[in-house]
Amino acid sequence: MKKIETTLSTLLRDIGAFYIPKLWHFLSVNGIDLGEGKIELQWIFSAYGVKDEIVIYYVLSDYNTPVPSLVSLIPSAIMGEREIVDMFGLTVDGAESGLYLDEDSRTHPLRGES
Amino acid sequence: MKKTIQIPLGSQHISLLEPIRFKFECENEKIIGVDADVGFVHRGVELACTRSFEFKQVGYVVARVCGLCAITHSLSYTLAVEKLLGYVANDRIKYLRMLMVELDRIHSHMLCLAHTAENAGFEALFMQIMGDRELIMDVQEAISGNRVQFDYISIGGVNRDLTPELVALTHKNLGLLSEKIDALIGLFDNNWSLSLKYKGVGVLSLEEAYTYNALGPLARAAGLATDVRAETSDFPYEALGYTMILESTGDIHARNFVRLREIVNSIAMCRNIIENLPIGEIQEKAKGKPNGEAVVRVEAPRGELFYLVRGSGQNMLDRVRIKTPTFSAIPAMMEVFKGAEYADAPAILASFDPCMSCTAK
Amino acid sequence: MLRSLLEAFLNLFRPIRTHRYPAEEIVLPSGYRGLIEYGIDACIFCDKCEKVCPPGAILFYQNEDGTKTYRYNPWLCIYCGECVRACPKPEEALWQSETKQLSALKEDGANEGWFVWEAACKQSREAYATVKKSAKIQNKSEE
Repeated sequence: MKKIETTLSTLLRDIGAFYIPKLWHFLSVNGIDLGEGKIELQWIFSAYGVKDEIVIYYVLSDYNTPVPSLVSLIPSAIMGEREIVDMFGLTVDGAESGLYLDEDSRTHPLRGES
Repeated sequence: MKKTIQIPLGSQHISLLEPIRFKFECENEKIIGVDADVGFVHRGVELACTRSFEFKQVGYVVARVCGLCAITHSLSYTLAVEKLLGYVANDRIKYLRMLMVELDRIHSHMLCLAHTAENAGFEALFMQIMGDRELIMDVQEAISGNRVQFDYISIGGVNRDLTPELVALTHKNLGLLSEKIDALIGLFDNNWSLSLKYKGVGVLSLEEAYTYNALGPLARAAGLATDVRAETSDFPYEALGYTMILESTGDIHARNFVRLREIVNSIAMCRNIIENLPIGEIQEKAKGKPNGEAVVRVEAPRGELFYLVRGSGQNMLDRVRIKTPTFSAIPAMMEVFKGAEYADAPAILASFDPCMSCTAK
Repeated sequence: MLRSLLEAFLNLFRPIRTHRYPAEEIVLPSGYRGLIEYGIDACIFCDKCEKVCPPGAILFYQNEDGTKTYRYNPWLCIYCGECVRACPKPEEALWQSETKQLSALKEDGANEGWFVWEAACKQSREAYATVKKSAKIQNKSEE
């Protein structure tokens, strides 16, 4: 498992340079609440046909900063992005709320108290 | 004038096995756009794992995410926690865990084949496959003591051992099943009316499989060589005769065949496991509290199951991230529907083997 | 085509696939995980089973004289057997039987009755803890 830190502004450039559809399998978007309004966002990739090769791009951010969408690079990222919109109440361009919760839900289960 | 019509399918529909709603945008009989709603059975398992249960109990909580692949969920979670505790299981534990996972794969694939047959209009074949599936369910019940919720894997080992009677029962039932699977392979390959419903229907090309990150039997039917069993080193799969099953056409027929041939492969692996079972303890002490971050991938019957567990040395975990196979296969599924006939939609959907209670967790 | 017709005809004479359930009993394999049973004589009241139980189906009520009362909710239990593995005296104090629990009736109070019991257990512990604390303080002041 390899962890690479990046920032929200350089995320698209970094992953665009890294991601080759035939080599990397995109696993998921993940968020981890760090308390005090902070959140760690992770984009997880695994290699096709190589043993135990997992690469995680992560960003330390807060709940108010909008998150760029990866859908232009990886179409299947839409599910993970819609999930973090629902579970953490983040804003991701192009990702609607309402995957698990109601569209107008005001609570976000995994969001820490701030 | 509007040229397309919208036809909803689900969330309750006579041919649907799962609570999922599709909105098909149709031009005559052809589907040109799809919209899916999957979150009907959200239960907040991820939250419960970090707020209500201690890390030793979470293994039994995540097993309730899904009824069919309960064993893979508890296995992935247990592996993740054992990585954090720095514990490595002995060979006997590994073999027994693998045995249960492979048995689970056999009966889950058979359920999917049965539903695909049913949704293509073959009720009798559905009954026949479900009847044969009981052979495996009986073995699992005898080994673990329960028919659906096995609760077989716990942190530090497995809960029950294989007795000589169980080995004999497993051998007997696997022998009976392998004859029936051979007959089924002939039927799925040669039956003319089945081929009308399956061949060339619901095609996912290799390019699309790469673009939409397809996984599991869906990807292998399209020729994308990905299988977590070959991409992780947690279990000695190669030593037990694992081979990757690949098809190239990517239609329903190919998906059925990937499943049928994987059943044959799993039967051979189960036999190898019970014949070469190493000697050792089945339950060891794994001490400490989970500290750090661990990721685990396990090949569930439907594809790759991913767990990320983070703990900070306390009884309560900080985060349990569950990424289920159907969840990440949905973009690829929606792509397959585009261009298909509306009448084929139930059969195509059943051939994905969707598990909505996994997806919405 | 001919073969399937022949199959269909032969099926008339084959035994049926299903069980005739009420007339013919379905045999459960031995080792079926059933109810958790309790032997009060061997129990040492270490509370280990209560702590490990994932759904919290085992509770101990703290009596005022220091003893504890065991209570078990078979409808909440998930039959995982974790309590039996945690028990220091398995087979004597706590064991898993092969009896099946029937569905709960309204009189059993599977939900409401259990909520009342849960609250009572919690309260009894807190009351006992305060009694002990005040006794300790009293002892100290007497010394």
